[in-house]
This record gives sequence, structure tokens and C-alpha cells, in this order.
Amino acid sequence: MVKKSVTIPVSVVMVFVSLAMLVPFLMMVLTSLKTMDEIFAPHFVWIPDKWQWSNYKEAFSQGDWGRYYFNTTYVTVVTVVLSLLINSFAGYAFAKLNFKGRDLLFFISLVGLMIPPQVTMIPVFIILKHIPLAGGNDWVGHGGLGWIDSYNGLIAPYVAGSFGVFLFRQFFLQIPKELDDAAKIDGMGRVRAFFNIYVPLSKPVFATLIALKAVASWNEYTWPLIITSSEHMKTVQLALTVFRDENQTQWNLMMASTTIMVLPLLVLFVFTQRYFIEGIVSTGVKG
Amino acid sequence: MERAADIDIPAVRSAGAEAVVRRRKRRLDADPIGYLLILPFYLFLLLFVLAPIGYNLFLSFTNYNLDTMHGVGINNYKALFYDRFFGIALKNTAIYAFFTLVLTVAFGQILAVFLNYKWGGIKWVRMSFFSPYVISMVAASMIWLWIYEPSHGVANTLLEAIGLNKVQWLQDTKWAMPAVIFTGFWKFLGYNVVIFLAGLQGISRDLYEAAAVDGAGGFRQYLKITIPQLMPVTFFLIVTGLINNFNVFEQIQIMTGGGPLNSTTTLVHQIYNRAFQEFLIGYAAAMSIVLLFLVALLTAANFWYGSRSHES
Repeated sequence: MVKKSVTIPVSVVMVFVSLAMLVPFLMMVLTSLKTMDEIFAPHFVWIPDKWQWSNYKEAFSQGDWGRYYFNTTYVTVVTVVLSLLINSFAGYAFAKLNFKGRDLLFFISLVGLMIPPQVTMIPVFIILKHIPLAGGNDWVGHGGLGWIDSYNGLIAPYVAGSFGVFLFRQFFLQIPKELDDAAKIDGMGRVRAFFNIYVPLSKPVFATLIALKAVASWNEYTWPLIITSSEHMKTVQLALTVFRDENQTQWNLMMASTTIMVLPLLVLFVFTQRYFIEGIVSTGVKG
Repeated sequence: MERAADIDIPAVRSAGAEAVVRRRKRRLDADPIGYLLILPFYLFLLLFVLAPIGYNLFLSFTNYNLDTMHGVGINNYKALFYDRFFGIALKNTAIYAFFTLVLTVAFGQILAVFLNYKWGGIKWVRMSFFSPYVISMVAASMIWLWIYEPSHGVANTLLEAIGLNKVQWLQDTKWAMPAVIFTGFWKFLGYNVVIFLAGLQGISRDLYEAAAVDGAGGFRQYLKITIPQLMPVTFFLIVTGLINNFNVFEQIQIMTGGGPLNSTTTLVHQIYNRAFQEFLIGYAAAMSIVLLFLVALLTAANFWYGSRSHES
């Protein structure tokens, strides 16, 4: 279709549909500010009579939320830093260095793109249980819990990212060879050239992967559910589901906690939209 | 395999041609330090991605229960045939995957086409579509749990307002699955819109102008140009969407727990229950292998179908 200035009905429909997408968020915020009486009123209350900011304080006092936020932040930061470091190294080596078997090794690593993590969660759990000399294990990995119910267990499976390596490699391939030659003439080794030339030139791809990895790590639910068991290892996602398990669900407190968890993410998204969406789009589609 | 080329992964395309040139140069300037640089990545990949695939296959021939382990041959796979819950899960997973995929891809494409018109608010509209994709599935599930609340939730309030009867949504075997599918639709629609938008930007305007000269109207242009030109993108979204939707678990675990009466239990939900609630590790491993096999089969079927329709 030739782009033309938009016809009025189309734009009205689009605005309506996009507002409809936001209604659940609106419900979340409004409900978080109601009293339970308003929630269970015979006639639906849209706008609370008096905004109950105290719900937020009360929701926070149900459980050790400081601990949950610390756990999640720690796991997210370490996962992002480690994975970016390791994957950018590999992407650089696969793109620019010459060594025997390089392309074969790269193709093998792409298997990681095709295997859904749900398929391997059982063996990964067992492998983590038998990490030698960790969590009471002996040197062959028996007797203890290994990395189960620990930060390492939450982080380790997410460090190697085939997608990250793939994206880094693609980006580094575009950097002209002349820069390598210049670095060589200056007497720079391959590793120093990476830090002094490649990293500063690759800020966009780093930003994209930071945004994607951080959001994925922050939002992770299935793996923490499997690998953690104690209260002090809980992540925010796990903690949020506790509201659901109570007999009489406190909808206002539940929505208050959800709002606190969702808002920073949405704010972050608004500011890093470009990197975020570019990253999503570059997952393989080139129009 | 022409379809695979259409998705256009430059890394794959270029690797072959470049390899020839490189092989000649390799002896001149080899970088053994490359092994050191890929070592950390490969170590983690080996330990948490590659080895687990083989280990999973091995476990599926045992009766491991986190305590004792004996070989049982193909008994786990045989038992799957008689497992009523596995059959239900298979059916539910197929239903969830099919409807979520069709809804998100179809609506994603139509909305993207309209969004692609030149107009002011696109950035904000795109953001509102995409924001459900950014939040966690847990948060999304919590919000929709409240919307589906039977006596005071928004869904039933709206139904009553237009004179319809209330529905017990997540507590009703008939409605629980549609409700879960709708949540998935809300969450993943924006992703499809954004990817389709990127695809639309790549279609040459000349095509539309030529069609307009030939007297083709908007709808005909959509049928004859937009849909065929978007095929690689649509194909990409179907393949990745199928894999993702086949692994549906989080919203099931949180919103329904597989109920009521197993009407929403899925393959991954069954794997989780068998492995981490009942500790039937070997049996659950066999299920994982079936899941992997199914996903591979569906992907291959897609590629096969894609390449066939491309030729004709």
C-alpha cells in the first residue's frame, strides 16, 4: 500500500486498539489503590474513592521484599556482566581470529539457538546438583546439594548465550579489516585490540544485549522455581506468586506488588526502546 | 531449503564463501589465542546446553528418582502411551500453540500494516503494543487473574454490562483454556507487530506504485504485494512462535495449575510435575525427548512446506 496521510477511521481504530492494550495496566494501578471493600463492592468501582497509598507499604511488609529485590538484582547484574564478557569474547574470536576448526565450532554453538531451555531443565538440574566441591559435595560431586538453591545455580545456566555470540559476531564482522592492520602496526595484540578498538565501536550491540538479557533475567520464573527452595533465595517473580496462594487473595496488595515490579521495567523500556526493539528485530529478520 | 536462505542469516550465508579465502591465509597469520577467547563460552555451552541433550536422552532410559538409577530400556516411552495425563497435555499444548500462533500472527500482521501508514502517533502506539511483551509472565498472569476473577473481576463486569451471563473463566473447564490463550495473545501480540513492522519497512515502495499505476486498489495490493513480500517474516514468526508456544508453562503454572480437571495442563507442565514434584526423573526425561522431537518435527514440516510453496 502506498503510504498516504492516514484516513481518519483507521487512526481512530488504531488508537482505540492500542488503548485497549493498556487497559490491563490501568486496572493493575487502579486496583492497587482501592480498599478491599471497594474491590468486593456489589457495583464495580472504577476509580477508588480515596487513593490507598498505604497498600504499597502493607504489600511490602508481607514477606522479606528487600531480600527478594536484592536477590533478583544480584542475579541479574552478575548474569548480564558475565554473559556479555564471555559472549563478546567468543563473538570476536569467531568473527576476526583465525584458528583451526573455528567455523565448525561456531556452527555447533548455534545448536543453543534451537534447543528450548524447557527441554534441558532436568539434566541441567542434575548437573548443578553434582558440581564437585560445592554445597557439601565431595570431589566427584556426591553427598551434597551442589549449586542447588544458590546464586550460582540461578546464574550459571544463563551465562552462555548462543544468540549473544551470534549477534556479536555479526556486528564485529562489519568492522573493517583496516583497523586490525592498524592495530597490528601499533604493536597491539589481538586481545588489546578487542578492548581498545572493538568494544568502544560496539556500544549499540552491547546496549541491545544488556537490555534484552537484563529483562529476561529479571523476568525469569521457571528456573528459580525449580532451582531454589529456601525463603532467602527467592526472587521477586517467585515472591509475587505467593499472593495468589493465599485463601483470601488480597487483590489490592497483589496489584500493588505487581505495579512496583512492572513500573521500573516499563520506565526502562521507554528510555531504551530503540536498543530493545532493534535487538528484538535483529533476532533474524531482515526485511 | 530455499526458505532457510530467505530468513537471511548473514553469518550462515557468508561463512562458506569466506572460509575458502581464509583457509589460504590461515597459515600466514594464525591466532591460537582464539581458543582461549572462546573457552569460557564453550565451557558453559557444553555444560548447560550440549551435554544436557545427550544426558537427557540417557536419563530417559532409566528410572532415576534422584536416589537410585536402573536401566529400564524403552519402558518410559511405552508408559507414555498409557499415560492419560500425557495425552491430555499433548492435546492442550497443541490447542494452545495453534490458537495463540494464529491469533498473534494474523492480528500482528494486520495491525502492522495499518501502523505502517504515515501518521504521528506511531511511536506511542508501538510502545503500547509492546509493553505487555516487556513485563514478566508472572506479572501478566497476576493482572489477568484479577481480570478473570469470577464475581468482581473486570471481564465479568463487562459481560454483565452488555447483558451477558457471567463466566467462571479459570474455574470452568470450557473457558479456562480460552482465557489462558487470550492472556498469551495480549502478551505476545506486540512482538509480532514490531517484527512485521520491520519487515514492512523493507518492502520497496516501487512495487506499490507500479501496482497503483496498474489500477490495483489497497486491498488487492495487500493481497498481491504485502502478503507475499512478508512471507519470510511470517515464516520466521510461525517457526519461532511455534517453538515458544509449544513450551508454554509459566502462565499455566500460575493461573490454573493445569486445572480445572487437567483442562489446561501442558507438556512442560507435566514434565515439571513429574520431575520436580514426583521426582520421576527418568519418566519426565522421556517426555522432554518427545517434546524436543515434536518441536523439531514441526519446525522441519514448516521448512518443508515453506520451500514447497515457494517453488510453486
